Amino acid sequence: MAAGGGAGAIGARTPRLASDCDLEGLDLSPAEGFLLSRIDGHTPQALLRQVGGLPPDEVDRCIERWAESGLLVFVSSGPPARSGEGDSGFGEASASAARAPVAIDPQLEISAEAQQAALAMDAGLERPYHEILGVEPDADVRTIKRAYFGLSKEFHPDRYFRRDIGPYADVVERVFRRIVEAYELLSDPATRAEVQRDLAAAAQAPPEPQPEPPLETPAEEPAAEISRPRKRRTGPRPFSPLTRAFAQRRAKAKSFFEAGMAAYAEGRWLEAAGSVRLAIAFDPRNAVYKSRFVDVRQKVADVRFEQLTKEADSAMTFRDRGDALKLYEEALHYKPFDPQVNHTAARLAWLVADDPRRAKEYAVRACEVEPEQPEYRKTLGMIYKAAGLKANARRELQCALRLNPKDDEARAELKSL
Amino acid sequence: MSRVIGIDLGTTNSCVTVIENGQPTVIPNAGGYRTTPSMFAISHDGKRLVGHLAKRQAITNSRNTVYASKRLIGRRFDSAEVQKAIDLCPFEIVRGANDDPRIKIAGKTFTCPEIAGIILREMKRVAEEYIGEPVSEAVITVPAYFNDTQRQSTKDAGKIAGLEVLRIINEPTAAAMAYGATNRSEEKIAIYDLGGGTFDISVLDMSDGVIEVLATAGNTFLGGEDFDRRIVMHLLERFQEEESIDLRTDPMALQRLKDAAEKAKCDLSSRESTEVSLPFISSDDSGPRHLQLELDRGTLESLVDDLVQGTVKTVEACVQDAGLTPGDVDRVILVGGQTRMPLIQKTAGEFFGKGPHKGVNPDEVVAIGAAMQAEALVSDDKDLLLLDVTPLSLGIATAGGHFAKLIERNTTVPVRKTHIFTTTRDNQTAVKIRVLQGESDVAADNDLLGEFVLSGIRPAPQGGPEIDVCFDIDANGIVSVSATDLSTGKEQSITVNATGTLSQDEIQKIIEEHELYEVELKA
Repeated sequence: MAAGGGAGAIGARTPRLASDCDLEGLDLSPAEGFLLSRIDGHTPQALLRQVGGLPPDEVDRCIERWAESGLLVFVSSGPPARSGEGDSGFGEASASAARAPVAIDPQLEISAEAQQAALAMDAGLERPYHEILGVEPDADVRTIKRAYFGLSKEFHPDRYFRRDIGPYADVVERVFRRIVEAYELLSDPATRAEVQRDLAAAAQAPPEPQPEPPLETPAEEPAAEISRPRKRRTGPRPFSPLTRAFAQRRAKAKSFFEAGMAAYAEGRWLEAAGSVRLAIAFDPRNAVYKSRFVDVRQKVADVRFEQLTKEADSAMTFRDRGDALKLYEEALHYKPFDPQVNHTAARLAWLVADDPRRAKEYAVRACEVEPEQPEYRKTLGMIYKAAGLKANARRELQCALRLNPKDDEARAELKSL
Repeated sequence: MSRVIGIDLGTTNSCVTVIENGQPTVIPNAGGYRTTPSMFAISHDGKRLVGHLAKRQAITNSRNTVYASKRLIGRRFDSAEVQKAIDLCPFEIVRGANDDPRIKIAGKTFTCPEIAGIILREMKRVAEEYIGEPVSEAVITVPAYFNDTQRQSTKDAGKIAGLEVLRIINEPTAAAMAYGATNRSEEKIAIYDLGGGTFDISVLDMSDGVIEVLATAGNTFLGGEDFDRRIVMHLLERFQEEESIDLRTDPMALQRLKDAAEKAKCDLSSRESTEVSLPFISSDDSGPRHLQLELDRGTLESLVDDLVQGTVKTVEACVQDAGLTPGDVDRVILVGGQTRMPLIQKTAGEFFGKGPHKGVNPDEVVAIGAAMQAEALVSDDKDLLLLDVTPLSLGIATAGGHFAKLIERNTTVPVRKTHIFTTTRDNQTAVKIRVLQGESDVAADNDLLGEFVLSGIRPAPQGGPEIDVCFDIDANGIVSVSATDLSTGKEQSITVNATGTLSQDEIQKIIEEHELYEVELKA
């Protein structure tokens, strides 16, 4: 995106509605209402300047004013940027599922700015293709290609090759796929004509599930109204601009939720989680979305757990075991109580990372879950021994021997104590 | 951070490059050569020889000297290409446990990835000696038209050599990267790459360090070796005419002829005629016989004209695939030693209506590009970006032996595509998903990458169940395929580990074996 421009710092910040904001007393023009509807806590101000339907300086002024009046706050670039918002629904850091709540995380090897840019693109993937590429609807092929190349430099997964970018790996890849799709459709005259027809049709006849005009249309029309604000008062106003904005957001949330449930029914858990998360982002108060999200997240966790352990297993055979440990530990995020993985992680933390304290925690947990497993007991005993905790070591090794009297290694370890 | 290298693993020669202070450096081997023959031999006294050492003794030890094994890697033993090679190669090719071709020399059988691994290990060693520290990561190039199995096998070879393969990239693409790193203007370029064993053509669009592959095509069984072979056949015939002696059954004479043919071919790139002189090539009752012949450029060109014209057809198709006409291409870059031949420069020049670009060394540019991609991946300076494509269409076999393409060739990766399939019989409870790669509409004519069964489909009339098949290719080109029964949510998936390649266990075993061997050498 041609983000930032001159006022880079302002452009990079991302406003969201304050949770306690009072919308009742406001008097906004439809154009301002439209801008307000674009503010979702994902889209940075630079992007809002482009998609807010108002001239850029007007956008800046509105945001400034609303921020002063307490209507908006800015998403901090510190860690759990969104924890205040979705409360019980999706803010917990403990089980951050793969495609689920993505927050700005300065620990990752992707700059906070790039994280915001990625989230902003990700939130806008349903926009018309030319908007995704940031070009005019009638841009020529050369301009389209340039935009595509520019965005590729920013969002191609190779940019983050081997970097630890956590959940952004999925975000970036998803964004890149969509950019490619946009480019492919718009750079071929045949498909482009089709896209333009669809766009024109959508502008004329709003699709069924959305009783309000589709989100893309108001762009030019309100701009005209701004210049003559007096006239507006004479006509009837079926919706206050904000009610309309929120109705639109709820409709959008509903369509995301439905897409999510469809994906869920088909077993595409990651997609389901992403869609439901978006639904919650657009309609944070809906309890149904939140409760279903718990299910979906569990499925995603299962899938991630399986993937990670599989990767870890192959790392064990191939690459260094430090990698394997990292992968097992990541897997434990998703299923903290899997005894086998805890046991393996314990052995690796002890033998490879030389970190007996960490090893002990994993081993203890494995033993808690399956107290009758002699291998786990033995490992724990040996870790205690390595840490110099002889009494504990003796207890565990004795226990291991009781469970499996034939274990000579445990016997030898016990003897050497 | 340890250094990353780029390796052009060629059919006849290999080349290794590292980036030093932002500049690519081609690393010479101990003999001072900037490329190393992709040859491996076991000498009479049981020593393992690689590179120039192997080449030097090839004449006297042709049955135990392996060359051009890249032509066999990742192929099936029964394929026409392997059968052709069996007829032509002096070393023995046998059927392996996975129906893969294996090479038997000095009583020991090697898989093709193993041979490639030995050559890669040599290149790694060359780099390590030059840099002075261990190297563990590399980008390796393959012909653009290599299928998934051939790519996987090359990756396996890297593992066997003790290298982590950051990425496998196409040779012409690598050449384009080397060019694009220094030429940042907006251009469309064509890379005509005729190496020792393969021919590739790629059309790319580049601007300011971003390189997009528009289309790519090629022939994995056409290269400089075929030119040599034509010359050898010519020499054989001439000798038989004059001396009535058939040298075809004499491996040593054949090897000498091959060397002489290659030399004559190179001479004729700069001269109009050359002499082929092989004293004592044979003997009969009347004493020793010598081969002494004059060969001129015109004769050579008439011998290989159909090969060159064959490449033009491929180039034509590729340019069309890219949605361009020859005139749209701003620059033509020739890559591979064989493109030094004047006939090829002329032919390419005529096709595109402009003379080829002179600024690159055709033997080294691929390795340079590989190192640049390696550097671009691991460094923080993200100035070069390759938008790569799938070289071949991917899909599944459907009823009646048809091939349903899900991802068309030349699609930018990463990509994901899904399609819904259904059953063909009433109460069918399982479907077999056969993952294929290729361009033919007939399933059997394409390469089988892998297969799996989705069972537990709820009994229903034919055409009732909906099975969602999803293809996914990630940025590393790894293909995974999943099939989901939409009514039950049941899912089966594979990451394509192509049939015919080595299993992880086998690779591990080979690595260990070679480690043992390394110990042996030092002792």
